[in-house]
Amino acid sequence: MMQKKRKKTKKQLETWALLLPILVIFIFFFLLPLFFLFITSFKTFDASSGIANEWTIQNYVKFLSDPFYLGIVWRTVKIALLTTIITIVISYPVAFHISKANGRIKNYLTLLVLSPLLISMVIRCYGWSILLSNNGVVNNTLMSLGWIDKPLTLLYTELSVVIGMVHVLFPYMVLSIMGSLERIDPSVIRASQNLGAGPVRTFFSIVLPLTLPGIFAGSVMVFSLSVSSFVTPAILGGPQVKVMSYLAYEQAAVLLNWPYGAAIGFLLIFIATITIIMYSKILVRSEKGVAIQ
Amino acid sequence: MKKRLPKIGFHFFCTIIYVFLLAPIVVVLMSSLTATDYIVFPPKGLTLRWYVELVNHPEFMQSFMLSVFVALGTSLISTAIGTLTSIAIVRHQFKGKTAIVQLVGSPLLIPSVVFGVALLQFYSWIGLAASPAALIIGHIILTIPFVMRLVVASLVGFDRSIEQAAMNLGAGKFRVFFQITLPIIKSGVIAGAIFSFITSFDDLTVALFIVSTDVVTLPVRIFTYMQYQYDPIITSVSSIMILLTIVLMIIIERVLGVGKVFASKNQ
Repeated sequence: MMQKKRKKTKKQLETWALLLPILVIFIFFFLLPLFFLFITSFKTFDASSGIANEWTIQNYVKFLSDPFYLGIVWRTVKIALLTTIITIVISYPVAFHISKANGRIKNYLTLLVLSPLLISMVIRCYGWSILLSNNGVVNNTLMSLGWIDKPLTLLYTELSVVIGMVHVLFPYMVLSIMGSLERIDPSVIRASQNLGAGPVRTFFSIVLPLTLPGIFAGSVMVFSLSVSSFVTPAILGGPQVKVMSYLAYEQAAVLLNWPYGAAIGFLLIFIATITIIMYSKILVRSEKGVAIQ
Repeated sequence: MKKRLPKIGFHFFCTIIYVFLLAPIVVVLMSSLTATDYIVFPPKGLTLRWYVELVNHPEFMQSFMLSVFVALGTSLISTAIGTLTSIAIVRHQFKGKTAIVQLVGSPLLIPSVVFGVALLQFYSWIGLAASPAALIIGHIILTIPFVMRLVVASLVGFDRSIEQAAMNLGAGKFRVFFQITLPIIKSGVIAGAIFSFITSFDDLTVALFIVSTDVVTLPVRIFTYMQYQYDPIITSVSSIMILLTIVLMIIIERVLGVGKVFASKNQ
C-alpha cells in the first residue's frame, strides 16, 4: 500500500517535471504579457509616459462608436470573408485534381501547392507588389492588349490584399479538402455510378456533401488566419487599406498609444472568436443536414 | 468529344492556378536580374549587378545571420520542450490536462500582432532589451503548437511493448528514451523542428515589435527597406532566400522524403 502510493507520487513528480518548462515559459511569456496588455487596454493614454494610471473604458467606447473605426472592422471582416470564399472556389478543383492524379505526378503537384508555405511570406507579398504595381506585369499586359488606356490602381487596394491573402492561405484549404476527399470510400462512388448517376450528379449528390466537413474546417482556418493577419495587409494594403491588425500595430508601435492599441487588439480577438463560434454552429447544423440526407 | 471538353477546361483551370501560385516567386527571381536602377518586370538587360551590390549592404548579411541563429535556437528549444510536454500529455494521467492542452494550443488563436504588443510591453517593463534571447522566447510560443501537434501524432500510435522489453532487459529511463523512444518518434520530432525553424525564420509580426536598431531579423530588414527604397536589391536578397529554401527542400527530401514531412503536418 505504502509502496503503491510512493510509486504514484513519483509518477506525479515525473509528470510535473516534464511539464515544468512549458508552464514556466507560457505563464511568464504568454499569459502574463497578455494579462498586462488587457489591463493596459482599460487605462488612459498619457502623451509623456504612454500609459496613465487611471481606469477607463473610453478606449473601447471610442472604437465602437466611431464610424471610421467601425468601417475598418467591416473591411477586416469583408476581406477575410472574400478570401475564404475565393479560396474555397479555387482550391476545390485543385484538391480534386491532385487526389485524382497518381504516383509521381501526385507528389509533384502536392509539392507545388505546398511549397509556397516554405517561402517567406514577406517575399511572396513583395512578388505580388511587383506584379500589381502601376507599371507591373498585370497593367502592362492589359495595356498592350489595348483593354485599358492608363494603368489601373491595383496595389494598395482591397483587391491586392485579397489576392495576396488567397495566395498565402490557399495551401491550408487544399490540404483540408484533400484530406476529406481521400477519406471517401471509392465503393460509394461506384455504387452511385452503378445506379445510373452521371459524373455531375455523382459529384453534387455524393462527393460534395461528403467533403463539406473538410471545406468547413478549411474555411474556419482560413478565415481566422486572414482576419488576424498582419503581413499581407501591411505590404499589399499599407496605410491606404487599414485593417484591424494594422491599426493595432500603428497605434501601439508608431503612435505609442498602447492603451488604444491594446483595446483594438482585444476587440480583434473578440471578433475572431465570435466568428469562429458562429461558424462551428453552422457547421454542426449542416453536418446534421448531411446526415439526414 | 462531348466528354473531353469539360475535362480540358478543368485542366486549364488547374494550370492557371498553379501559375498563380508560382507567379510572385518567379517574378522576384527574374526581376533580380534587371540592369535598371528600379524594379521592373520583365527585367531589362541581364546582369548579376544586384547580387554584387549586396557587398555594400553588410546589414542584410548581419540580419540573415541573426535570423538563422534565432531560428536555430527556437527550433532546438521548442522541439525539446514540445517533446517533453507531448510525452506528459500522451502518457501521463493528471489533473488539468485539458487546460494544459488548450493553453498550449492557444497561441494559434491569438493574432500575432496582439501577442507582439503584449510582449513589447512586458519586455519593456521587466527591462529585457531587444536581443536574440528576447526573439527566441517569443518564437518558442509561436511554434510550440506545431511541434506539439506533430510529436503527439507520432506518439499516439506508439507500441510501448518495445520500451517495456528494453526496461526488462535492464535499460534505464534515459537510455530507453534516447535509444528506443526518440528513434521511433524521430520523423515527428524532425518535422516539428523543421516547421519551427521555418516559422521563426519567416516571422515578421512578432519580431517587428521586439527588434531595435542593431538587432534586426531578415524579414524585418526586408520589410523596412521595402518601404523607403525602391532599388532592386530586395529582389536579389529575396532570390537568395528562395534559392536557399529550394536547396534546403532538396536536402530534406533526400533525407526524409517530403511526402513524409507534409503528411505528418497534415495529421
